[in-house]
Amino acid sequence: MKTDHDDPSGVAQRAEARSLGTDYERMFHPKRVAIAGVSPGGGVGYGTRYLLALQGMGFGGEIFPVNPKGGEIAGLKIYRSVDEIPGGLDLVVIAVVAEAVKPVLEAARQKGAAGAVVITSGFRELGTPEGIAREEEVRRIAGTGIRVIGPNCFGIYCPQSGLTFFPNPDLSRESGPVAFLSQSGGMASDFAMTGMWMGLRFSKVVSFGNGADLRETELLRYLGDDPETGVIAMYVEGVRDGEEFLDALKYASARKPVVILKGGLSSAGGRAVVSHTASLGGSRVIWESVIRQAGAVRVRDTQEMAQACLAFSLLPGRAYRGLSVAGGGGALGIAACDAAEACGLEIPPFKEEVRRQVEAMLPGSGASGVNPVDVANPFMPPEPLERIFSATARDERIDLQLMILLLHHIKAFAQDMGKTMEEAFSYRELADRMQGVVRRTGKPIVYVLPNPRRGVTDLDMVEYHAKARQAFLERGIPVFDEIGEAMRAIGHVHHRYGRGGAS
Amino acid sequence: MSRESAGEIIARARGEGRKTLSEYEAKRVLEAYGIPVTREVLVHDEAEVPPATAKIGYPLVMKGCSADVAHKTEKGLIRVDVRTKMEALAAFREIKRDLGGHKGGVLVQEMIRGRRELVMGLTRDGQFGPCVMFGLGGIFTEILRDIVFRKAPLDRADAMAMMGEIRARAILDAVRGMEAADRERLADMLIQLGRIGIDLDSVAEIDLNPVILSGKDPVVVDALIVLS
Repeated sequence: MKTDHDDPSGVAQRAEARSLGTDYERMFHPKRVAIAGVSPGGGVGYGTRYLLALQGMGFGGEIFPVNPKGGEIAGLKIYRSVDEIPGGLDLVVIAVVAEAVKPVLEAARQKGAAGAVVITSGFRELGTPEGIAREEEVRRIAGTGIRVIGPNCFGIYCPQSGLTFFPNPDLSRESGPVAFLSQSGGMASDFAMTGMWMGLRFSKVVSFGNGADLRETELLRYLGDDPETGVIAMYVEGVRDGEEFLDALKYASARKPVVILKGGLSSAGGRAVVSHTASLGGSRVIWESVIRQAGAVRVRDTQEMAQACLAFSLLPGRAYRGLSVAGGGGALGIAACDAAEACGLEIPPFKEEVRRQVEAMLPGSGASGVNPVDVANPFMPPEPLERIFSATARDERIDLQLMILLLHHIKAFAQDMGKTMEEAFSYRELADRMQGVVRRTGKPIVYVLPNPRRGVTDLDMVEYHAKARQAFLERGIPVFDEIGEAMRAIGHVHHRYGRGGAS
Repeated sequence: MSRESAGEIIARARGEGRKTLSEYEAKRVLEAYGIPVTREVLVHDEAEVPPATAKIGYPLVMKGCSADVAHKTEKGLIRVDVRTKMEALAAFREIKRDLGGHKGGVLVQEMIRGRRELVMGLTRDGQFGPCVMFGLGGIFTEILRDIVFRKAPLDRADAMAMMGEIRARAILDAVRGMEAADRERLADMLIQLGRIGIDLDSVAEIDLNPVILSGKDPVVVDALIVLS
């Protein structure tokens, strides 16, 4: 694995020197936050919505709303200007009109704020000379002693401090290892919400919009060193400097997994080129190569990104070549084998002794104790499942165990027995037992929980599955909807740590 | 050949307003960077053919060599497996005729025997600058597109990783009675191609296709250098 000592260009040192002057701690965990651009007259503009979102999150620090008209809002005094606020500030959130951003940012700098989040749009993204000039002003002020996120962004989500995106008052306050960087605010906000049900817990999520000052390169390096972050995900459309980006990506990837989703990939397109090399080297293939060169993980869409992050956050970081698979239905076993092969993973046959033990635990007809294990039922009670997974973990070729149970069959089963679905099959008991297996064997279990019943007539099933998912996630067991998705995510972890070739 | 001479070749071509180097010139640039190329002699008239063939030895290859003609195979400007003086002289006359008005000579080149053809190249990406390509060569390059890139400069690990990433990577192993390719030598070549991309701003694109494995040793058999 490469380290920063390999950095030949000195880019690392330059960026590090800059980062030293950046008080990220005060930016992500501010104690005193000003919000410039609240509306005192009862209207709900951007500033007010941000204030309400921050309060909704239960932000624990002090909030200072600002509007030249003064007054009161949401139980807080409105200051007429940033300078009027008594004492210092850590972070200033700016939601005033574009023309008024400059003096507010200047005032925030003079106040000693470590950073500013400029939500306001109307800058470079307009493509007009005025917009570009305004952005240049932001960059200039940033260069004089305050770091800027934005403009044209949703800001910072940090569950630990309670900072949130514009306009999300109800994101999780539970912290975790996943960091996410995105130019797009919508993408950042959606990813934070997807993570809530998928089981991702975040350290820091930054939507940096136009990236006038802080952007992908510096933030990657910061997160690479951030002890609160264990895996970095990133959505990128374009980068300002390819060379610096590759260096930063190498730097971060040498320290922790970095998952990259590149938007706007296309083939070579209309370039006039002579050689075959140039015609083959379109932006897509070059981007793929650069991500690999940095040792980062490439994903194709947001779902795959979230799934990879889940696997990286819950599975211990090592190679997982050999998998055991146990569950209901022979076809699922076949699907698992196909998916494993496509992801560079193996489902090796159990050694004879393990196979005999497993077969002794299975119902007589239709069941199979080879790997994949077919339990000949959509699901079976937690206790024998625990025994099977304890037995299969004993095979030294097995690095990780995949469980496939089809709980959507529980509805008819429960009705026949006159029980509730929870009574008919306790996912909590199963989750407890499986957590025990993982602890005793040291081999992670991944749960595949498909639910083909998601329509309005099956909302009870949707709820049952959501709760089952949560029970497993709470016990550190990753859950995926589909076999292929699980394999792909496990494959990313395997290749990242095993360097098992191209993924 | 020194690196300065590589710069001179390019400067001269640019001075003449050319967008490409001839194969002969391209190989001198490669040679200056320690990249193994075919032994060859450039001849302009018939009298130079016999001493050239004597120097290279039969069987040999003869090619039209002009900066104006990029893809020689498609234009019928190549004769392979030339075995006698008679054949060599006939080939010279035909190639000269087929070059038509194009300025240039005829390359008398050693014939590299080997069934494994690779490709290497250099392109400049708008975002990442010079990038080196490696992959399956010959006529399969464009059909199978089994290629990978690395941004220059490359370190040895980058070059080695490229060889492990193509789908046809087994072609580099000892297969069907052929020796395993000299991967260290291949890595040197890829690193040096990246070097050219860093050193020589006026080199826009490079194709080395094919790079033939002669036993375990890679040799650049054809080369195209496009100038900016």
